[in-house]
Amino acid sequence: MKERKPKNIFVQGPIAASFIADSIEKHKSKTDIGGHSIFLGQVRADKIGGREVSCIEYTTYEEMALEKMHAIREDIFSKYDLTCMHVYHSLGKVSAGEISLFVFTSSVHRKAAIDACEETVERIKTELPVWGKELFSDETHQWKVNQ
Amino acid sequence: MPINIIIFGQLADIAGGSLALENIADTNSLVKELHILYPALATAKYAIAVDKKVVNENTRLTENSIVALLPPFSGG
Repeated sequence: MKERKPKNIFVQGPIAASFIADSIEKHKSKTDIGGHSIFLGQVRADKIGGREVSCIEYTTYEEMALEKMHAIREDIFSKYDLTCMHVYHSLGKVSAGEISLFVFTSSVHRKAAIDACEETVERIKTELPVWGKELFSDETHQWKVNQ
Repeated sequence: MPINIIIFGQLADIAGGSLALENIADTNSLVKELHILYPALATAKYAIAVDKKVVNENTRLTENSIVALLPPFSGG
């Protein structure tokens, strides 16, 4: 298997729909791919005790997160027959309705892409040192808890 | 030699974003000291990373150790 270097996965602010479209477009030349699987995490306007989440502010322990993401990537590639995998996570403020996580896996046949995408999302949620601070419209906040 | 500690997420609301503590030999004594300085940390849930790896057992610290306090992850 070829050596993969740790990639930066973090983008400042929300992930634009046009960025996602461009990522898909870039795979046109890879004609051995038969299926893509995409997960998009969107910030939800949760209502908590009369207050509504207006945005989530993400922070990370970047050096540790990139090392961990690299290890997850290696695991996923050794477990599934993937052609490629791309992961992007927002840092800073992302408003309700905007995208904060983009996981994109591709394979020759669909099953590997679908399963790898799901497992990658689960591992990002539980293993990456990233924290979401939910900011309410009245300027108060609470720290996000992953389910 | 001080041990430098970086603090993330909701724990930074309690103890600030970073700390330097003297005379800390290992992670057990670090936790003890932190809970005296910041009693609110004693009831908070967190993991300790030494050199970017989460440690589950008492771990010796040196002046070069990078120690981080990590509350439960909530990315995505």
